[in-house]
Amino acid sequence: MTVKKHDDDVSLLENQKVNGKYYKLAFLSAKLSQNVRPGQFLQVRINAGQDPYLRRPFSYYRVAGKRIEVLYEVLGYGTRVLCQKKKNDFLKVMGPLGRGFSGLIGKKKRILVAGGVGVPPLVFLAEKYPAEYLLIGTKSKAELLPKSELKKVRAKVLCATEDGSCGTKGRVTLLLEKILKNRHPGEFFIQTCGPKPMMEAVITLARKYGIEGEASWDETMACGVGACLGCMVKTNEGLKRACADGPVFQFEDLKL
Amino acid sequence: MKVDLTTRIKDLVLKNPVTVASGTFGTKDEYAGYVDPRKLGAIITKTITVKPRAGNPMPRICETSAGMLNAIGLQNKGLEDFIEHKIPYFKKLGVPLIVSIAGESAEEFGKLAKAFDGMKDVVRALEVNLSCPNVETGGVNFMKKQERILDAVKAVRDQTGLLLFAKISPELGDVLEIAGKVIGQGVEGISLINTLRGMAVDLRTRSSRVAKDFGGLSGPAIKPVALRYVYQVKKEFRVPVIASGGIASAQDALEFLIVGADLLAIGTANFVEPQATLHILKGIEEFCRKEKIRSLNDLRGSYRPAAEKGEGCNR
Repeated sequence: MTVKKHDDDVSLLENQKVNGKYYKLAFLSAKLSQNVRPGQFLQVRINAGQDPYLRRPFSYYRVAGKRIEVLYEVLGYGTRVLCQKKKNDFLKVMGPLGRGFSGLIGKKKRILVAGGVGVPPLVFLAEKYPAEYLLIGTKSKAELLPKSELKKVRAKVLCATEDGSCGTKGRVTLLLEKILKNRHPGEFFIQTCGPKPMMEAVITLARKYGIEGEASWDETMACGVGACLGCMVKTNEGLKRACADGPVFQFEDLKL
Repeated sequence: MKVDLTTRIKDLVLKNPVTVASGTFGTKDEYAGYVDPRKLGAIITKTITVKPRAGNPMPRICETSAGMLNAIGLQNKGLEDFIEHKIPYFKKLGVPLIVSIAGESAEEFGKLAKAFDGMKDVVRALEVNLSCPNVETGGVNFMKKQERILDAVKAVRDQTGLLLFAKISPELGDVLEIAGKVIGQGVEGISLINTLRGMAVDLRTRSSRVAKDFGGLSGPAIKPVALRYVYQVKKEFRVPVIASGGIASAQDALEFLIVGADLLAIGTANFVEPQATLHILKGIEEFCRKEKIRSLNDLRGSYRPAAEKGEGCNR
């Protein structure tokens, strides 16, 4: 029996800048808000025509009832067009897609390590399931998510900025290692999403301390449903599709 | 008014002309949650090779104006896996299946053809992929030597009585010349066009935006080129043609039908709109109803060449 998948026309409730780095958009959809797991994503058709042509994947940021929020950075042509959209403009959106982060992890405590586009799904995760820490790495204070967006996070939030303008100066893995050094690493489970070099460093640390975890590992994708084989990830079981088999993979499965 | 969309190619009778281009509809049921595949006239599979292929490194995809470059590299799990795990699914589904095959040698092409020859209850035709832009052996560079194309086609013909379509592209050389030669080798039809090799450069790294220097360009950007070749091949040889190349709307599909296409293979559009095939099918029917065209055969090949139109000439 094939599960019916959703592709919904939605009307924007808002689409605005929240700080120097992120835009936030919101819309209502009964279909796309069902059974969503943090780490899953939406495939957004930004314009009905051919410019841009392919859909763009965005992780879920927040789901409350039928309301869905997406937090995004303007990183290329697609998001430049998207950020011009106004209230009541339409988007065509597929979701929820992919496999998200584990909600239940037994007795272990979560440490969430986020950077860049990886912040939204981990804030979502930390709002849904308590974590010990949410570690956020950015270039500077200006790029940090405003406090109002972190109100519902059920974790201690620590920041690392490359220029030292907020929190620890340096990379987020500095923060992570400090925690791991002073506590018994066996009690933790790491969940990470962000730029690849950051996640690689996190996984390297996790391996050093013998900690399990999950990383949201994506590649440029076209279809978002496992058909085009554009977004393959190297795993111990061979190539897997980031969009359909992931984007969340166990650290131990990833072949870096 | 009921519009007869039945599409006949030799002994193969399809309920409509809409199918999917190889490699754009998953390997099995990836789109089944969005589209009822039983509504399609036929399904063309992702290209199957004898041995499993891992394909190219990432990134394999990049968007370009009204299209995309891909450098997938025929990733697939090989012939054995396909027969064991995919054929039973397609058999149960009951949609006429056209299997796309590619070998690294004439011998491999022959082997693939032989394997599917015994499955006539599921496999109704083969699309012989002679024009993949993303593989070394068996791809467009390799097939630039025309005798290799002809050897491959001959090897396939020798091993099977299945309906054969040779998938060729302008990347191989003169399309009309090659089409003529492969028809001479006994293929029943031609599949046109594969992706066209293109480039995209990342300004920061000054290197290709896909893992290889060139990727295969697909999507609406290549539609006018595809339309032209379908028209030319149809006009010259009057053989069955599977048309693909940027078909994204009913308008596109109708243009291809008017220049004579037998089958319409929807490709990149599936990635953008999982229901693209069904939207196009509906649009074709609506157009026919509006224009009082009872059978698609009355529309197919009805193109009026520019020279015949003349000034002041009424239809």
